[in-house]
Amino acid sequence: MIIAVSGKGGTGKTLLSSLLIKELSEKGKDVLAIDADPDSNLPEALGVEVIKTVGDVREELKIDTAQGNIPKEMNKWDILDYKIMEAVIETPGFDLLVMGRPEGSGCYCAVNNILRKIIETLSKNYDYIVIDTEAGLEHLSRRTTQNVDTMLVVTDKSKRGMLTAQRISELAKELDITFKDIFLVVNRITPENKDLILKKAEDTGIEIIGTIHEDSQVAEYDIEGVPLINLSNDSDSVKTVSNIVSQILK
Amino acid sequence: MFEDIPVDVSPMYEGERIRAANMFVELAGPKSIGAELVQVEEEVEDGKIEVIGPNLSEMKEGETYPFGLLIEIKGEKLEKELEGVIERRTHELCNYVKGFMHLNQRDQIWCRVSKEAVESGFGLEHLGKAISILFKEEFPIIEAISIKVLTDREEVETFLENAFKQYEERDAKARELSDEDVDVFYGCVMCQSFAPTHTCVVTPDRTALCGAINWFDCRAAAKMDPDGPIFEIEKGEVLDDIKGEYVNVNAVMADKSQGTVDRVYLHSVFGYPHTSCGCFEAVAFYIPELDGIGIVDRDYKGETPLGIPFSAMAGQCSGGKQVEGFAGLSLEYMRSPKFLQADGGYERIIWLPKAIKDSLIDFIPEDLVDKIPTEEDANSIKDIRRFLREHDHPVIERLKESKKSVEKVEAEELVEETSSEMEFIPEEPQMAQVGYVPELTVPSSGGMKITFKNAKIYAEKVIIKKK
Repeated sequence: MIIAVSGKGGTGKTLLSSLLIKELSEKGKDVLAIDADPDSNLPEALGVEVIKTVGDVREELKIDTAQGNIPKEMNKWDILDYKIMEAVIETPGFDLLVMGRPEGSGCYCAVNNILRKIIETLSKNYDYIVIDTEAGLEHLSRRTTQNVDTMLVVTDKSKRGMLTAQRISELAKELDITFKDIFLVVNRITPENKDLILKKAEDTGIEIIGTIHEDSQVAEYDIEGVPLINLSNDSDSVKTVSNIVSQILK
Repeated sequence: MFEDIPVDVSPMYEGERIRAANMFVELAGPKSIGAELVQVEEEVEDGKIEVIGPNLSEMKEGETYPFGLLIEIKGEKLEKELEGVIERRTHELCNYVKGFMHLNQRDQIWCRVSKEAVESGFGLEHLGKAISILFKEEFPIIEAISIKVLTDREEVETFLENAFKQYEERDAKARELSDEDVDVFYGCVMCQSFAPTHTCVVTPDRTALCGAINWFDCRAAAKMDPDGPIFEIEKGEVLDDIKGEYVNVNAVMADKSQGTVDRVYLHSVFGYPHTSCGCFEAVAFYIPELDGIGIVDRDYKGETPLGIPFSAMAGQCSGGKQVEGFAGLSLEYMRSPKFLQADGGYERIIWLPKAIKDSLIDFIPEDLVDKIPTEEDANSIKDIRRFLREHDHPVIERLKESKKSVEKVEAEELVEETSSEMEFIPEEPQMAQVGYVPELTVPSSGGMKITFKNAKIYAEKVIIKKK
């Protein structure tokens, strides 16, 4: 099952992704986290260090090819397979693959085509795949999220956050990308603004699956750089995400 | 067939990855050493499986061990040349074994065994048994097979030394593989989404324009995904082995370009050069004034001797167009002995950026290296001409030859003219070249399309007005 998290930048995609990963891996499932946002900090939120990204793998191959370093009889696709495996960060609870920087100049069609296949094959080995997508709509037009089962769109109270959420849902329809489910998660709700925000969220036309309250602990962790995955299970945010997970898996 | 093997053996386990969390041990891979090797031998004891070094039951959970796989085969029709082909199947066949992960090939393998497999009693002898059966099934010409699985560090080290020698021998042969040696070329239409009339023809001597895939890569890709964008082209009848023209290649070109392009030369920029996608690593461009060819690559940001940078040139000849005098190409193709062979190869190259010249230094004929200018030596046609003259570039000889024949023709014409009636010939006005376009289509009517190729626009006067 593939779960993707999207939304406008800064609305809390990484918070939701990291807590989804925490919840699923604590259920004893094989989880692959994919960080597809070149500007994200999912690895920090998960408390792991990145050695190599898919972008690095692509560049390495490009350089080795241009310099003629690869013996002709060696299969480049097998080399990529190996290098992608090297890029997977393995922890007891979950594995993480970071997509990294977007491609530079030159043509990557052939390489990207194979990379997509390799990542698909790799993904089949896991019960759950959680993708933290890049902010905005690009993941839809590039069709990197077209096989996603459940799309979780995150928004905060801002008008722009809501608009992006609405556009994601509309663009997916336009592009004929049909997720099995698409839900809205509203982040940073306070008791005072709850009713107003929820009403606005309803206007996006996406079913709301959960609301995460403004969480002082999350803010604190962010400031201190403590991995969000270390949030305690009593934390309000963790409980909300746990509830979201049980609804998705229902 | 696999009844005495405690785990399932089936193609359905291909692509199986074993997560660190579910892994019993790791073999070879980035943290250790290892290799696999297929050898054709005179004497092979069929069905013999040996494990040299600790077996899985003697290994410690979570550790990494050296790993060698020596596969010895015998058969009347087996030749040493087949070793590489057979060896490449090891990856796939090992992966049929449930609970055994195998990545890559040669000395770059990376294997893992799952906890589950070990718990069910799986040992390395079972791996050997399984692949010995699978190999014989896959290649009926194998009459006898024996397998040695090595996990002892010293044994693996000695094994690696021998394996390296074998790989080197094979690579030397692969480097020599040329268009004549194969029956199949490959076509790639991966770029058709933005270059609808482009098909890349990949041969042993001609890497795809993007530089990413060579003939061997295509062979692997076509096998992996037979209905995919990379497909086989039976080489078939050769029309011109110097220019590189083939009946079947022309047919595929016509088919895949909906009839737009029905002829290509694989090794020339003249006549019917190969179409260009948009993602080529470099462009070869004809410089008519000097009757030579320049090369510019994607990373070169300055202007070429034609007065335009790579990007502008790429714009004019990309998108699947066939533009005479221009050909997109990969840097690897410049290492091929067939590199633009119909045009004279490096003898016809009269300009290229220093960065690519340096990277190709071993592939440019020694007597030509100093004769080909880079942006550091000359950039204008005039300066290039001077450089070529000073360094005695073969193109200069060519220019002299053609000049001689032109003069001869002109002289003959002159004789004819003078013999006819005396006529007043007005002196030509001073003209200057104001533009150069590799391809220019002018608006026309009457069901015709007029295209000028390599058009030079001369004007007596250029008027630039502010609107």
